[in-house]
Amino acid sequence: MNLIKIQAISRKEYYHLIRDFRSLYLAFIIPLLLIFLFGYALSLDVDNIQVVVVDHDQTDLSRDLIQKIGASSYFHVIGQVADDRIASRYLDDGMASVALILASGWTANIRADRESQVQILIDGSDPNFAGITRSYLTAFMLRYNQNQLLGFLNRRGMEPIHPPVEGRIRVWFNEDLESRNFIVPGIIAIIIMIVGAMLTSLVVAREYENGTMETIRSLPVPAAEFLIGKAIPYFIIGLIDVLVSILMGQLLFGVVMKSSFWLMILASSLYLGVALSLGLLISSVTKSQLVANQIAVLITYLPSLLLSNFVFPVENMPRILQLVTRIVPATYFIDILNGLYLRNLGLSTLWPSYVILTIMCGALSVLNLIVLKREGL
Amino acid sequence: MNWIRVRELVRKEFIQLFRDKKNRPLLIVAPLVQLILFGYVVTTDVRDITVGLLDLSRTPESRMLIDAIGGNKTFRITEVIERPVDMDQLLLMRKVNLGVKIPPDFSMKIRKGQTAEVQILADGSMSNMAAVRISYMLTVLEQFNNQVIRELHPVKMSYGKADDRIRTWYNPNLDSRNFYVPGIVAFLIMLLVMLLTSMAIIREKESGTMEQLMVTPLKPLELILGKTIPFILIAQAQMIIVTIFAVFWFDIPLVGSIPLLLVATCLFLLSTLGIGLFISTISATQQEAMMTTFFFILPFFMLSGFVFPVANMPKIVQWLTYLNPLKYFLIIIRGVFLKGTGLEALWPQFAGLLILGLIVFWGSVNLFRKRLD
Amino acid sequence: MASEAVAVQNLVKRYGRFVAVEQISSSVQKGEIFGFLGPNGAGKSTTIRMLCGIITPTSGAGHVAGLDIFTQSEEIKHNIGYMSQKFSLYEDMTPFENIRFYLGIYSVPPEKWKERTHWVLEMTRLENAKHRLTRELPPGWRQRLALGCALLHEPQILFLDEPTSGVDPITRRHFWAFIRQLTTTGVTVFVTTHYMDEAQHCDRVVMINEGKIVVSGPPSRIVQDMFTDRIDADLNDVFIQLMTRNRS
Repeated sequence: MNLIKIQAISRKEYYHLIRDFRSLYLAFIIPLLLIFLFGYALSLDVDNIQVVVVDHDQTDLSRDLIQKIGASSYFHVIGQVADDRIASRYLDDGMASVALILASGWTANIRADRESQVQILIDGSDPNFAGITRSYLTAFMLRYNQNQLLGFLNRRGMEPIHPPVEGRIRVWFNEDLESRNFIVPGIIAIIIMIVGAMLTSLVVAREYENGTMETIRSLPVPAAEFLIGKAIPYFIIGLIDVLVSILMGQLLFGVVMKSSFWLMILASSLYLGVALSLGLLISSVTKSQLVANQIAVLITYLPSLLLSNFVFPVENMPRILQLVTRIVPATYFIDILNGLYLRNLGLSTLWPSYVILTIMCGALSVLNLIVLKREGL
Repeated sequence: MNWIRVRELVRKEFIQLFRDKKNRPLLIVAPLVQLILFGYVVTTDVRDITVGLLDLSRTPESRMLIDAIGGNKTFRITEVIERPVDMDQLLLMRKVNLGVKIPPDFSMKIRKGQTAEVQILADGSMSNMAAVRISYMLTVLEQFNNQVIRELHPVKMSYGKADDRIRTWYNPNLDSRNFYVPGIVAFLIMLLVMLLTSMAIIREKESGTMEQLMVTPLKPLELILGKTIPFILIAQAQMIIVTIFAVFWFDIPLVGSIPLLLVATCLFLLSTLGIGLFISTISATQQEAMMTTFFFILPFFMLSGFVFPVANMPKIVQWLTYLNPLKYFLIIIRGVFLKGTGLEALWPQFAGLLILGLIVFWGSVNLFRKRLD
Repeated sequence: MASEAVAVQNLVKRYGRFVAVEQISSSVQKGEIFGFLGPNGAGKSTTIRMLCGIITPTSGAGHVAGLDIFTQSEEIKHNIGYMSQKFSLYEDMTPFENIRFYLGIYSVPPEKWKERTHWVLEMTRLENAKHRLTRELPPGWRQRLALGCALLHEPQILFLDEPTSGVDPITRRHFWAFIRQLTTTGVTVFVTTHYMDEAQHCDRVVMINEGKIVVSGPPSRIVQDMFTDRIDADLNDVFIQLMTRNRS
């Protein structure tokens, strides 16, 4: 292992990177953009549900129900229309996602102590949104009916009934139920994949396409030094990105890491190592920038977004894909992130994920060396 | 305009595209893999909620509640524990989604007519899923309450109750796949068209054939047509293949009109081809072009409503999404697939795509021609 | 006018404050081989690209095949052939496919395609290699193919921008023999090079440096005028003498 040679290769790679502002953009601006977008603009939480109302009844009671819905923090009554068909057109056009229809005689039924139907239509095309909306509406109606019951007992001069059971909810790890709290840390995994794998997937292929691989082959540089030299600049950029992400998450969005900072750096370094070796491997195997880039998207970026328990829960996937997630490095990194950020866990519980990342990193590096040796380096 | 020249250019483009063996997986395998991945993976459905149970009461009443939870098909009691501390471990180690703690005085309070508190501990790390899980659990408790009240007060108690009849339109089972799969089509087309168009031009620049073309009588417009027509054809073919796949493999309902989809694809291509041209104009190497493509794709993807609803975004960002062709195309695709919406409701999206497409394409063509001089 | 294939007066090309070509005036007779010589960066390529209509001159006047380079650049393109040092071919296509492509791009009438294809394959001796990938052919073969593609539409004037760089001496000799033969059919050849031995093949040459013409005339006369005292002098000596003098 020769440090001077490694340094020379790193410096060369560094110049490539510095001279190419687009790669720099990818290395620094994209991470900022992602953190910013996810922290600020993108959310899976539902809190502004547009409701259109058709009130055929037009009584104090019906108006009271509508007003109560509007007063809830989740719903926003955008307006009343006269006709059911117009309301359904609102749903078609996506102007409202819920239509609430009160038939005439609704109040009369209530007053006569009968069940009285409220028709509710939800736009189900976005299932995440619709599922949450439906559960909010159900909860809202439960509370409404509870009041009705109390009023009824009161009128009859009966003793109020206590509901036998009440659920006391305590949310752990993410007390305010904000998607930001799990998405912002998860983004770090995506960023590392972009910087680590997508950028490096081009670096060896570029040498082949420019014909400079021949020159390198003729130099007294062993494969290991070549690889380390190539990886170092990206490793440094990756770590800077991680630090920036941690800082931005904390300062701008109040997403605070609960566990040890150094455990975070260790995990990020391991994962960066995996990403870098994966990128370099793709690059030396394909020898073509276009193909390498596509493969990098396909086998690094997409799986870390989709198959890692990041936004889409693994437990919902078909059995076979659940097995696939086991070999996706991001799965383990996201697990660590989740533990460090939300659960305040330490190495005593998270060690299996650390070990697996280490093994993956080592195995990929060896594979890289084998491929390069076969290429005559 | 000389059509023979355009024809020969298109022909050449296809030869080159399919000659490189490495391109073939790019064109066929990659889209299908992505489609399958998204189709199976991208779901935010809340189906199988795992529950850890701690029953400190151990009475008929508490067993009734446990039966109510376990009997509900959404819930699965996977862990039954004895000590309160174990509950923390279950949640910490992500063994369960919800923890239910029944207190020792549970039955006593119910029998006395008081309210017994059941503690529900939720793993909030995926907040959107947690919200749904919690409300499902609350619904189960409510049903349990009604059952108990009916048993405790045999007197008929009919009060004026609002009976909510909730119907979910367009996607009654709230199947995530129905929502995401049509969207992938849009994303795939965008990714491939932008990348391939810019690559096709950059390659000519890198190999010096662009200069050769410029001394031939080939006109800029013919060049642009020759470079874009292949990708229009490929995109349409992909649209059709992926749609067939979506309908027959994933059973996604296709309620609306297919021709309308194809028209929308054409309009959408106007902007994507325009951006592809633009990227090829401002990039000198393939690497630069790929980086630039990526930095267009990423915000387009995030701000399209594909996964993250536009309505949730802050107002300023919502305004920004009006500049995103993918957003319009997604609304159209989902509308046509799930709702069967026609032009009468989707015309603003079509207009948006058309206007955006014309501006982007016209601007890119002009810039492209200017750079050629 | 009719006997001049190329004629330029005071041609200037500026990029911002940088003057690439400064006041060049010259003319090329029909059927002659005209050499355009100069060191790298002298403005050779800029001039040839102005004549071919790839870039527009800043000022001056010029005619190619009797057509104005300012206003009729599209018509000019029908009458010229161009080959650059990169042998701009599609390397992932076969010679046959390359030929067919350029036949279409140059708008050669389809009824003549067969005949022209045959002519080029014969001329380039690539008949047996026509279905191999261009990338796999040796540089000399690629050069012949590039030349053949530039002649598909039977242009009056052929522009060659450093046509022999990276080709071995034997191929180069064949190349010049072919060019010589080509001019007998009335084709004018405008060639840039910095190989002075090649410039000997030209009927007339112009040497430029830093955008300006420094000397012009038939090669032998240039040598005689410069080195009246030496018999063994050649164009190389002229070139070195002129370029170094100019620098100092």
